[in-house]
Amino acid sequence: MPLAIVTGTSRGLGRALVERLLAAGWTVHGFSRQPDAWAPPGFRAHAVDVGDPVAVRAAVAAITADGATIDLLVNNAGAAAMNALLLTPPETAAELMRVNYLGAFHCLQAVGKAMVRARRGRILNVTTVAVPLALEGEAAYVASKAAVEALTRVAARELAAQGIVVAAVGLGPVDTRLTRAVGAGQLARLNQRIGRPAGTTLAEAVDFLFRHATDPELVTGSIHYLGEVA
Amino acid sequence: MLTRTEALRLVLHRLAALGRELGKPELERADEQTRLFGEASALDSIGLVTLIADLEEDIRRATGRDVVLADEKAMSRLTSPFRRAGLLADHIVATLAA
Repeated sequence: MPLAIVTGTSRGLGRALVERLLAAGWTVHGFSRQPDAWAPPGFRAHAVDVGDPVAVRAAVAAITADGATIDLLVNNAGAAAMNALLLTPPETAAELMRVNYLGAFHCLQAVGKAMVRARRGRILNVTTVAVPLALEGEAAYVASKAAVEALTRVAARELAAQGIVVAAVGLGPVDTRLTRAVGAGQLARLNQRIGRPAGTTLAEAVDFLFRHATDPELVTGSIHYLGEVA
Repeated sequence: MLTRTEALRLVLHRLAALGRELGKPELERADEQTRLFGEASALDSIGLVTLIADLEEDIRRATGRDVVLADEKAMSRLTSPFRRAGLLADHIVATLAA
C-alpha cells in the first residue's frame, strides 16, 4: 500500500486530497498545525508546524521508524494574504515566506532524505497561477510561491539521480477558506483571466492534484497550472 | 552515544555499500583517510549527499537520536568534516556529544 505525507490537512484542499488518496488505497499521514481528531482508516494526523524544521524531522522520523518508505509528499500547507505591495506589513510577508516557502523547504528536506535512502519517491509542491500572472495585490504571496517553484526546479535537478521526481501544480482560486476573504468581483476577474470563468471547484482542484500526484509520466522539474497562464 | 570506532565503522560500512551500489570498488576498501569529496574522491556530490542521508538513518537506528550532520556549524568549519572518512567519524561523535 503506497504511503503519502500531505501537509495542511485540517481542512480544504489538503483534507479533500487525503480523502481521494484514501479512496485510492493509500496510507496517508497528514501534517497540520493544530491537533486533528479526524481519523478515518488509513489516515494518521500529526500536529506539526511545517515552519519548524525540528518538528518536521521528528514527525518524518516517527513515520519511517518502522522501516516504512514514503512514496509521495504533497506540500500543500499554505497561507495567503492580499495587500497592496506598499501596504503589506513586514510581518505578513515574513509569515507567508515561513509557511509557504520554508514549510515546503523543511518538508522537502526531511522527506527528501528518507526518499534518498529509498532511492525513489515523488514530491509535489502546490503553487499558484498568481506566479506566472505576476498578480497585482498579492506580491508577498506570489513571491513566496515563486520561491516554491524555484525550489521545485532545483530540487528536481539535485534529486533526479536518486530516482526522486519533484514537480509542482499551480491552482487558481479554489472555493476554500483561503479564498473566502477575497472579493467576488476580484475572483471573477482572475477566473476570467485564466480561462476558467466558472471558477474551480474543490473537486476539480483535487482531481488535478491527484492526477499529477499519481501520473507515472510526470516529468521532474515540471510545473503544471490549472488554467491558462501564458 | 557512539565511540569513534563505532562511528568510523558506520561510515566505512556505508561507503562500502555505496561502492557496491555505484560500482566503485575503491569505496569497498575505504579507510579513515578515504576522501569523500573533491577530485581525489570516488564520490561525486550526489554520492556525498546520499552517504550523509544514509548515515543519519544509521545513527538514528544505532542511538535513537535524530541528528543533522550537515548543520550550519559543520558547513562553516574551516576544515570540512566531510573531507575524509575519519573526519566524518569525528564529526558524528562530536555531534552526538553536543
